[in-house]
Amino acid sequence: MRKSVAKWALVGAASLALAACGDSVSEEQAGDGEGAIELAEFPDRPYWGDTHLHTDNSVDAFGFGVRLGPEEALKFARGEEVTATTGGKAKLARPLDFLVIADHSDGLGATRRLYDAPRMLIRDPTLRRWHDMMHESPEQSLAATGELINAAAEGNLPEAMMDQEANEENTRDIWQAHLETVDRYNEPGVFTAFGGFEWTLMPDGNNLHRVVMFRDGADKTNQVIPYPGLNTEVEGLWDYMDAYAEKTGGEALAIPHNSNLSNGLMFQLTMPDGSPMTAEYARKRARSEPVVEVTQIKGDSETHPLLSLNDEQAGFGVKGWELGNLPLTAKTTPDMLFGSYIRQALKRGISLEEKMGVNPYAFGLIGSTDSHTSLATGDEDNFWGKHTGNEYTNKDRAMAEQNLGTREGRMGWHYLAGGYAAAWARGNTRAEIFDAFKRREVYATTGSRMTVRVFGGFDFAQENFDEDWVRMGYESGVPMGGELTDEGKSPRLMIMATKDPDGANLDRIQVIKGWVAGNGELREEVYNVAWSDMEDKRERVRGNVPPVGDTVNREDATYTNDIGAPELRIVWRDPYYREGERAFYYVRVLEIPTPRWTLFDAVRFGIELSDEAMKDAVAQERAYSSPIWLNPKPEPIMEEGNEQGAAAETQ
Amino acid sequence: MTFQDRLRGWLKEPLVHFLIGGLVIYLLFAWRGEEVDPASRTIEISREDKARVSLGFERLMGRAPTDAELDLQTQRFVREEVLYREALRLGLDGDDAVVRRRLAQKMDLIAASQAESAQPTDEALEEWYKANPARFAEDARYSFEQVFKLDADGAATVVGQLSRGADAQGLSDPISLSKALDNANRKQVLDQFGEQFAKALDQLEVGDTWQGPVQSGLGWHVVRLTAREPGKVPPLDEVREDVANDWRSSTIEKRKDEAYQLLREQYDVEIAQ
Repeated sequence: MRKSVAKWALVGAASLALAACGDSVSEEQAGDGEGAIELAEFPDRPYWGDTHLHTDNSVDAFGFGVRLGPEEALKFARGEEVTATTGGKAKLARPLDFLVIADHSDGLGATRRLYDAPRMLIRDPTLRRWHDMMHESPEQSLAATGELINAAAEGNLPEAMMDQEANEENTRDIWQAHLETVDRYNEPGVFTAFGGFEWTLMPDGNNLHRVVMFRDGADKTNQVIPYPGLNTEVEGLWDYMDAYAEKTGGEALAIPHNSNLSNGLMFQLTMPDGSPMTAEYARKRARSEPVVEVTQIKGDSETHPLLSLNDEQAGFGVKGWELGNLPLTAKTTPDMLFGSYIRQALKRGISLEEKMGVNPYAFGLIGSTDSHTSLATGDEDNFWGKHTGNEYTNKDRAMAEQNLGTREGRMGWHYLAGGYAAAWARGNTRAEIFDAFKRREVYATTGSRMTVRVFGGFDFAQENFDEDWVRMGYESGVPMGGELTDEGKSPRLMIMATKDPDGANLDRIQVIKGWVAGNGELREEVYNVAWSDMEDKRERVRGNVPPVGDTVNREDATYTNDIGAPELRIVWRDPYYREGERAFYYVRVLEIPTPRWTLFDAVRFGIELSDEAMKDAVAQERAYSSPIWLNPKPEPIMEEGNEQGAAAETQ
Repeated sequence: MTFQDRLRGWLKEPLVHFLIGGLVIYLLFAWRGEEVDPASRTIEISREDKARVSLGFERLMGRAPTDAELDLQTQRFVREEVLYREALRLGLDGDDAVVRRRLAQKMDLIAASQAESAQPTDEALEEWYKANPARFAEDARYSFEQVFKLDADGAATVVGQLSRGADAQGLSDPISLSKALDNANRKQVLDQFGEQFAKALDQLEVGDTWQGPVQSGLGWHVVRLTAREPGKVPPLDEVREDVANDWRSSTIEKRKDEAYQLLREQYDVEIAQ
């Protein structure tokens, strides 16, 4: 072990100085924010954030070329101007309210160290080759990182990178310095900075990644180090989180993401080893993972057109990503889709609950960026790229092949611009926002900042909107993420959606219902419940709502708000309710069509999009609320023979 | 300045102490690091090595490893050792021109790290705060009431009604926006009403009259702006952390350059034309 010290000696000397650094952070900034500010009576507004941002401490982000660290990332998210790695000035038009920097726990800071290490002290030939490539040119650095991710996906990483014990001291130094920076930028009531990391489990290249987010400040989080993804499994991660809570009195939660690249492994009906799922596993999962990231730059995981045949809006952000797992070492077959998309997972969840009494997949929904540029941007008109290799300076990025799975058909234009997470909270502190995640009072958008509010109950009426309807929602119902118990009458949803004040008008509100029918069959249905001009110009035609129209000018990437509505509100009653059927409802809000980042690129840089890319260059941005569940009244009855039905997967 | 004065000057510089310290540690380890004999085919795992492996596990999981887990970790360590020695046998540790550039960058890194960890004195903070007041100014604050209409014509009618003394209550089209904000900062206005509206607020007169209509991304607003406070610069004590953060990040670049200049002075550089 002594040898490995040599190559890091200088960095070690530098980090000694860091560790010696005095504690300048106020108690308020370093804590969980409880009692620090005055709170509203009810969650009064959505707070906007990104829970999935990579900086130069991430192995791959650094390799892709980013040279901005956590400090710049926090400054940028808070609304300050920073200089991007490729040189341009970047500033958010509207600052974010919270941020989780989620650098990969595996080899935290390792590529930066590899890059910084004296070459003669790098023993491993592969590492040495990567080191050389990283220094040769940005293109070679990209190629090296592509190789690195492939190696991680195939389990072929050089041992020197995989040995967590040998790297532990380095990890600890970087982690603790990082946590101190996070505390310095955390300011209750103004901006919330969370400690966190990404746990990057990837068996055979199938993406089972989670972001881990802590409720606490450095005094607690620096008692642990990030949990490695290599050579571990998901139950180990949950044990690690439980051990953290026990040891420090703090709290952590895990957010699965990119289930679309898991080849069916993210939301299995069984245990990871294929044996029947146990109630204990389901309970642990539900407790540790209250929220799933449904949309981000690497595609959208709501549902797939093959899974939701009657949903015209299925398939947003699916192209390219549906081909296979993350490095495209294994193609996706149709049977794998069931375990890869969240609508199906929510259905599997209630069907498993019917069988076992526990729902492992009772999660809320958020969006995030997964940006590897240290810049948390989700806007279409100002796309900063998935990573530094395709920041805006790379003018051909839309039509270029992606760096992973090249020549397999994944192109630049398949990237989305990235999503955001909205949390309904009583104030902007770590405790308030974390707790909103815990109770699932959160929603996802594909980058727009529209306001979406949903309450479930049994007594709501349209007239409630003229009164103090929010109070009524909380007092006689449950907000998004909540659970209702069947009262023998049809449940109602009180829904309000307001457009992003600087964005596009709204087309419609839809309710998506999934349920276990009387015969045990799993069903889903999409209901159009409110839309613009619903009383005059857009009456239903044979039960369908006509499209809202399209104002996008393909020549100059502009649109107008002449169609759609600034706000939609409705109390909706489930028309197909049947007593005793277990169900969930979530809300999808669609904007009118707007240009995607690819169309902006085409206009700005004068590049030509392929026909296929052009067809995809205009889209309806959207929001997904967390579901509200309807549970049957608990009855002590055991029925025989429904097991087969509960496992069936049909439309 | 004599050479000796200059030397004394350097020796007082903490940065120089630091660089020399780093270099000594580096050379020590670089030299000692080669002590494994590549020809030896004996690998000894001492109790201490095992204790270290065990401690690493414990720090991560909050509990001691089982015997089986410890064995597994130890076997991984052995594997690395075997591959490492084979790599030495293959001569993969030779020198290269890249080292030169890397070491130079290393020096930069150290200079930067020191600034990252440095604690500014009160005087330094005060000076920084006074030199860059605009960076620490608060958001502007606004107090206003507004009546929302979906279209411009509706809003124009409302302006007339309100100027004739009508009650603003009940004139608004349905929308979830706040009817009034009291002492709200610019970010709160932006989040709810958007950029276009926030900019329009800056153009309106402060007073008791209803003005507009002004447009936002949502529709049209008739506004009574009762107060607008430009962003004040709060006293240093209230923004101390912001000032320290700003001082620190701005100082890193400066430190790198200073460290270079300090070393550069010792060299006579002749460049052939």
